[in-house]
Amino acid sequence: MASQPEAPSQSVGPEYRPAEEKPTATVSTGVSHENVHILPQTPQLIALLTMIRDKNTGRADFIFYSNRIIRLLVEEGLNHLPVVEHTITTPVGQTYSGVKFEGKICGVSIMRAGESMEQGLRDCCRSVRIGKILIQRDEETAKPKLYYDKLPEDIADRWVLLLDPMLATGGSALMAVEVLIARGVPEDHILFLNLIASPEGAKNFAKKYPKVRVVTAFVDQGLDEKNYIVPGLGDFGDRFYTM
Amino acid sequence: MTINSRNHYAPPWGDASIIGVAGSSGSGKTSLALAMVASLNLPWVVIMSMDSFYKPLTPEQSAAAFRNEYDFDSPDAIDFDVLVDKLRDIKQGKVAQIPVYSFAKHARLPQTTTIYSPHVLILEGIFALHDQRVLDMLDMRIFADADGDLCLSRRLVRDVKERGRDIEGCIKQWFSFVKPNFHKYVGPQREIADIIVPRGIENKVAISMVTDRIQKILAHKSKLHQLELQRLGQAALEAPLSSNALIIPQTNQVRGIHTLLLNPKTSREDYIFYFDRMVAMLIEKAMDFLPYEPGQVTTPQGNMYMGLKKSADVSAVVILRGGSAFETGLRRTIPDCQTGRVLIQTNWRTAEPELHYRALPPNIAQHGLVLLLDPQMSSGAAALMAVRVLVDHGVPEEKIVFVTYLAGRIGINRVLSVFPEIRVVVARMGDDMQDRWVETRYLGC
Repeated sequence: MASQPEAPSQSVGPEYRPAEEKPTATVSTGVSHENVHILPQTPQLIALLTMIRDKNTGRADFIFYSNRIIRLLVEEGLNHLPVVEHTITTPVGQTYSGVKFEGKICGVSIMRAGESMEQGLRDCCRSVRIGKILIQRDEETAKPKLYYDKLPEDIADRWVLLLDPMLATGGSALMAVEVLIARGVPEDHILFLNLIASPEGAKNFAKKYPKVRVVTAFVDQGLDEKNYIVPGLGDFGDRFYTM
Repeated sequence: MTINSRNHYAPPWGDASIIGVAGSSGSGKTSLALAMVASLNLPWVVIMSMDSFYKPLTPEQSAAAFRNEYDFDSPDAIDFDVLVDKLRDIKQGKVAQIPVYSFAKHARLPQTTTIYSPHVLILEGIFALHDQRVLDMLDMRIFADADGDLCLSRRLVRDVKERGRDIEGCIKQWFSFVKPNFHKYVGPQREIADIIVPRGIENKVAISMVTDRIQKILAHKSKLHQLELQRLGQAALEAPLSSNALIIPQTNQVRGIHTLLLNPKTSREDYIFYFDRMVAMLIEKAMDFLPYEPGQVTTPQGNMYMGLKKSADVSAVVILRGGSAFETGLRRTIPDCQTGRVLIQTNWRTAEPELHYRALPPNIAQHGLVLLLDPQMSSGAAALMAVRVLVDHGVPEEKIVFVTYLAGRIGINRVLSVFPEIRVVVARMGDDMQDRWVETRYLGC
C-alpha cells in the first residue's frame, strides 16, 4: 500500500450525548474543496457503510444497505436543486409558505455500477428519466474510453444527477461530465452522487470541474498501487450484480 | 414550571376498580359476570375467574383429586397470596400475568394469560369475598344466590360436559366437600356483600343496577382522566419546546415535500408517494438513536475498516389507525422490523383517548430502540397513553423515540413533561390542537 495519511477516528453520535457514551469509529477524511459535500457522519451512516464494506455481507444485504445510503445521497443531492416559493392553504385552513421544486431533472448512470443507484433515485423521483453512459478502460492506453451513451434529447435543459458509487481516480466520472458538457449541460447543473470517494478523486474533480457538485457519503484514506480505494469495499458492481 | 421537573400521568386504568362476585358453585356467578360485561360491551371491563388461582397439587393431592377425594371447595385450595399480588398489579395499572389452571391435569400450566389496563375488573369465584386482603381492594361486593338443587344440577352438567368428569365422582364431591363448605365458608360471605342477587342472569333488574353503577364508575374515571390531561396541558403551555424534541432540518426538499403534503389539491397518488419518502427520512433520523459499538470488518481486498455495528435490536410500535401510514416507509428502511400495534381511539364526545387493543413483540423490553409511530400529535393525549403502555411493558423511557410527521409544541411538551427521557422526532411543527388529517389523506378515508 502506498503511504497514506492516518484515517481520522472520532466518537460518533448525537451532540447531546457525552463523548464517553459514543462509540469511536473511523469517519470520513475531510476535504477542503468547496464543491465536495460529505453526508453528516451519523452513527447510522457509519453502521450502514460498515455493513457494505464487510466482505462477509451477502448480496441481498449488500443491495439493501447500499440502497439506504443511496437514498440518503439522493435526498441530499436534490437539496441542491433550485426551488421557488409557493404558498398554499392547508387542510385545516392555514397558510403555509412552502416551496415548489423547479426545473426538470434527469439521472445519468455510468454503467455498470452506476446503474445500481437507479432504484434509489426512483424511490425519491418516481418517473425520472435516466440516461446511460458506458465508459471502459482502453486496454492499449489504460485511459478511459467512451463506448456508448444514450441521454435524454433535452438534457441541456435539465439538472443532471450523475450516478457512480465509487470515485477512485475519477477517470470515468470526469469523462462522463465531459460528455454531459458537450451535450450542452451547464457545469453547475451537474450533481455527482457517489458512495465512497478517494481524496485524489475529490481533488481531481475540484480541479477540473469546480462547479460540479460532488455529494458523497464518505471520503476514504486513499488509493493503493492498483488505484483501488482503501479501505473501500471491493468491486461495487460485482458485489451488487453478480457475487 | 420547567420541563425538567417530572410530571405524573395517571391513565384511566391507573386505579382500577374491582368488583367481587361470590356465590355457591353452580349459582350462576360466571353467567352473571358475563351478562354484566356483555351489557357494558367495553374492552376495559374484564372478568377474572378465581379458578385460575387454584394451588398446584402435590403428587399425593393430585392422586386424591383424580379419585374425587381432594377438597377443591375449601378456601385452602385457593392460592390467595398469588391472587392478592395480581390484584395489586391490576389495581396499580401494571401488567399482570395470570396463571392458567388445567382442571383435566389438576395443575398450573406453564403459560400465563395477561391482564392489562382494565378500568373495571370483575373478580368471580366462590371465595371472592373471603380474604380480607381481597376485600380491602374491592369497590363493590356482590353475592350470587341460588337454590341448592339448581346449583347441584348446574354443576353436574358443567363438570361432566366441560371438565371431563364422571357423574358418580361429581355427586361424591358435592356431598363430601361442596355442600359442607358452602355452609361453612361460602354462605357467610352473604353477610358482607353489598348486593345479593338471586336468580342469576334472569334477574335483569339486578344486572342493570350493577351495570349502571359500573357506568358511573367509568364516567368518573373518564372525567378524572380528562382533568389529568388538562392539568398536564397547563404545565406544557408555558414551557419552551423541550430539547428532546428533534425537528428534522427544513431543507428545500423537506419544505418542498411539506408543500405537497399540506396542499389539499395534491393528488392522492402523489400524497402517498411523498409521504412515504418523508417517512423514510424520519425513520433514518430516528435510527440515529440506536446504540452502536465499534466493529472491525475486512473488505474484499483484505483492508481493515473500523466502523460501527448495531448492538441491539430495533422494533416499532404503530399507534393505530394513523400509524399504519408509516409502515411503507418503515419497511423501506427496516424491512424485517418487529412491529407491535396499539389501537388508541379518541372518544369523539369527550376527546379522551381510549386504549382498545394492544399486541406488542414479546421481548420488547430488551430492544435497544423502540420507535413509536403516529403521523400526527396534537394534544399529545394518545401519545402519552402509548408511551405509558410501553413503559408498563418494561421498555425503558430512554429507548423510546416517538416519530411523527406533524406535532404541536403543547402536545410534545405534555408528553415530555411526563416522560422526559423519551425523544420525539418530528418533520414539522404545526399549530397546537389541529384536527387529525394526515392519515386521513394517506388512507383515503
